[in-house]
Amino acid sequence: MIEIKNITMNFSDGQNRNQAPSLRSVSLTIPEGCIYGFLGSNGAGKSTLMRIMSGIYPATSGEIYIDGEPVFDNPRAKEKIFFVNDETTQFTNYTADELSMFYKGAYSGYSDEVFKKVMTALKLPTNKKLSTFSKGMKRQTIVALALAAQTKYLLFDEAFDGLDPAMRRMVKNIITDEIFDRGASLIVSSHNLTEISELCDHAMLIHEGDLVFSDELDNLRAGFTKLQLVIRDPELADDEVLKKKIQSLGLEALDITTLGSLRQIIVKAPEEEAVSKLKVLSTDLAEGVPLTLEEIFIYELEARGYGNADIIKENN
Amino acid sequence: MITIDPSDKTPIFEQICKSVCRDIAVGALLEGDKLPSARELAKLLQLNPNTVAKAYGMLERDGIVYSVQGKGCFVAKHEGKATEKLTENFRAAVREALDAGASAEELIAIIREADRG
Repeated sequence: MIEIKNITMNFSDGQNRNQAPSLRSVSLTIPEGCIYGFLGSNGAGKSTLMRIMSGIYPATSGEIYIDGEPVFDNPRAKEKIFFVNDETTQFTNYTADELSMFYKGAYSGYSDEVFKKVMTALKLPTNKKLSTFSKGMKRQTIVALALAAQTKYLLFDEAFDGLDPAMRRMVKNIITDEIFDRGASLIVSSHNLTEISELCDHAMLIHEGDLVFSDELDNLRAGFTKLQLVIRDPELADDEVLKKKIQSLGLEALDITTLGSLRQIIVKAPEEEAVSKLKVLSTDLAEGVPLTLEEIFIYELEARGYGNADIIKENN
Repeated sequence: MITIDPSDKTPIFEQICKSVCRDIAVGALLEGDKLPSARELAKLLQLNPNTVAKAYGMLERDGIVYSVQGKGCFVAKHEGKATEKLTENFRAAVREALDAGASAEELIAIIREADRG
């Protein structure tokens, strides 16, 4: 597993005056055999954290352990990580075969077979310089190299977003095997909440350098319920009054919207609890629905005082 | 057929469990039949592998399937457990309807109608 302990990162702005830290005491644990989503708006700190995890530069303070080994300047730890950037400008003077040789020298578990298999499936020539490739082809080649390295931890810094559906499928299938066979973990940063929602089993949200939460996705989802009900009591017509009433029933109402005769209520509670407690308000109440990941993020951020967080605008 | 409806808001691992239970209840899967491995199912339905593993874990815990080391997951003796899981929601709905004042006859009529259609 990867243990991230109290990572703080300050990039000073050259005049020896520190601007706001890029990461503020971030701690989380990434288990083996999982697909972990890193979420947050641009500049939130996701890429910085990934680079520190890969040992590209050291944090200002805090520690990172990869299977118990500190990562910075430690080949034993770095052997276990492959970091895929979103940029495609590196190494364009080389052919895929030459890059393959380079990475083979860097990673003891490198597999020529996997590399050939993926490049063949993608119909990419391995003897042409990458400068002749389109951006998409370059991206695919780098992902092919990453898969061939067969490291225990694979970090995709928004590199997943740029892949076409066929390649996504291939990567997912290879990762599935890696998870079952070697307890490998894929860590993906993305803006695409729908995709993260389908792909990942864990996720974390970073906002302006702070970790907002990190949890198994199923746990996150189970903690919120959305219900629509008709409330006949005229005294509860006012949203604020209704909110207090809900509180008196032992629930926290995060949002109340009036839609015609219906009131849509979002509570921070599992469905069973929400339905049983709110039954007194309306006899029609049969079930609640889970929230989408996007909705959960909005409420979690608001709850922590980040209100009107603009991570959602990225998707629209 | 073990299927998932992505637009269904029920958690995926629950959908997998219900899908397997349904297959067993209707006799599509019989005692001793081998389930696809968690790995195969994850790839087939393009699902997160841990989600599938979780579903299989639940099925095993509830005694609906059992696993044999190195061989796979198999359907356990059908002692009504699969059906029980599927009718959980129905039981709750019946109780609720009766509490709300519906008569048993009304509910039985609904069942018959559904059975015809």
